[in-house]
Amino acid sequence: MAKEKVVVPGKKKKLTLFDYILYVVFAILSLIIIVPIWKVLIDSFNAVGVYKFQLWPSDPTFAGYLTIFSTAKLFRPFVNSVVTTIIGTLLGLVMSTLGGYVLNQYEMPGRNIISYFLLFTMIFSGGMIPEYLVMKRLGLVDNMWILVVKHGMNVYNLVLMKNFFEGIPGTLYEAAKLDGCTPMQIFYKIVLPLSKAALASIGLMFAVTIWNDYSTVQIYITNPTQVNFQYQLRVMIMDGDTPTTAYKVSQNTLYYASIVCAILPFMVAYPFLQDYFVQGVNVGAVKE
Amino acid sequence: MSKTDNNGAGSRENKKSLKQQIFVYRGFYIMFLPVLIYVLLIYYWPMLGVRYSFYSYKLRDIHWVGLDNFTKLFGEKEFWLAFKNTLEISIVKLLLNTFVAVIISIFLNEMVSMFCKKFVQTIIYLPHFMSYAVVAAIFTLFLSTSSTGFVNETLKSWGWISSSIDFLHSKTMWRPIFYLINLWKETGWGTVIFFATLSGINPELYEAASIDGATRLQKIRYVTFPALSNTIIIVLILNLAKVLNIFEPVFVLYNSRVLEVSDVVSTYVYRKTFLTAVPDYGYTTAVGLFKSLVGCVLMLASNVASKKVRGRGIL
Repeated sequence: MAKEKVVVPGKKKKLTLFDYILYVVFAILSLIIIVPIWKVLIDSFNAVGVYKFQLWPSDPTFAGYLTIFSTAKLFRPFVNSVVTTIIGTLLGLVMSTLGGYVLNQYEMPGRNIISYFLLFTMIFSGGMIPEYLVMKRLGLVDNMWILVVKHGMNVYNLVLMKNFFEGIPGTLYEAAKLDGCTPMQIFYKIVLPLSKAALASIGLMFAVTIWNDYSTVQIYITNPTQVNFQYQLRVMIMDGDTPTTAYKVSQNTLYYASIVCAILPFMVAYPFLQDYFVQGVNVGAVKE
Repeated sequence: MSKTDNNGAGSRENKKSLKQQIFVYRGFYIMFLPVLIYVLLIYYWPMLGVRYSFYSYKLRDIHWVGLDNFTKLFGEKEFWLAFKNTLEISIVKLLLNTFVAVIISIFLNEMVSMFCKKFVQTIIYLPHFMSYAVVAAIFTLFLSTSSTGFVNETLKSWGWISSSIDFLHSKTMWRPIFYLINLWKETGWGTVIFFATLSGINPELYEAASIDGATRLQKIRYVTFPALSNTIIIVLILNLAKVLNIFEPVFVLYNSRVLEVSDVVSTYVYRKTFLTAVPDYGYTTAVGLFKSLVGCVLMLASNVASKKVRGRGIL
């Protein structure tokens, strides 16, 4: 982030008209972002659907959330999302650390071949249909594990991981080798413990991608027990396919409560992990 | 990728024969094996599937048709419309998002209060972490013509419009709304890369400008903006390579009534394959192959452009 300007004590800068305009402009900008999110949040607790923007629910209720967690049709996709996101992120991290570590061995015979082998997948792809046909062969159509398989390998993240590893001083490897460590031992005794920040950033990137993936489910899955929450949410809102429920809940309340559930994990984690999120982008953009 | 020799693995082994060297690195080859198999399975195997673009592939009936699929494709009005839409939608979206992100970065960088700056950043990054499905759901509800539609009812209560507008089903309104929604979702996050550049500007440049009597706007014009220009070009180049890939942002918002202005190549492929009773996988693979090839050319062109601008490629 931008460097903090050194403020000399006692010599506080006087705010000019320009500064006040900036405050107003950015207050409006923040409101543009916040108002829709706040409206979604408040309406999810509001028993009756209102068009107005409210600061607080006029008729508070938890029925929307209770419905989601007691209706199999909504809860099952939610669990699917949680499970695929966790497992997919772990798999993604295993693959990108292994690949990144090997790619970082510049003296290894065949290292360039491996590099081209990986980079070619970024230039050319089979396309939606050949991919679909392959996944069908692998038995991943109508199967929620497609989310894990499809996102468990990401060449871009692998290269990011390699860039992070490049920052580890070579002398550490040298010392470990003299102590008789095998490559695998160096990997998990030295490289991984030193890369916690990288693991957090890239892990978050995997998690966001998998949790938020909607189109993969749209293409590959029709079986309602296998879909993820993003898909179920969209089907419910777009097609008006509301599940029958024991709770008296208005359609609007249920819609907005589902939206909140779909964004909640990252909205809650985000303020604490913001730096990790940003770091991933910067390393990718600056170093590549 | 930059070459470094920080791992120190090589120095002593350089004199050994290739066989010995490979033996030294045996552990690494074994570690790469899972990645190799994975990449072959999900990236390279589908590449073999592009052969179907020369076949007719309906249900179980697969037979060779030569270039028929491509002849059909090039004669298809619907395809060219989708192709044109893809370019228009992607490029306008890219330019708009980048432009607004640059403006925001420049002026947010002028904020005196560090706390306010951080606060605004935290807020504007937020929508990036929502999925397109969620964002589309939110705005579909807001823009709906029902009695709970936020936008229409608010505009009506202010007396700006007399009857509800069906924004997402209107051919004239769809694209502007699409661009606005995308601006809302992605511009904030787009500023991250520009902030990284801004934080690298030497403060002495600003001091020198102050001594020369430059006003704040002049400093923006002559110090901040030139520093960003390289980054702007890189962002444009990197994204230019991907303009044809657009799928999810359009897919979650488009509908049959605005197909004319919203159908892109990927959604065209999707409809022809998954919304057709007896799809011809051969034909849709051909469309995909055409898209991949154009994308490939764009990617290589971007790579060359990137090498010119910053001395290294994007690959």
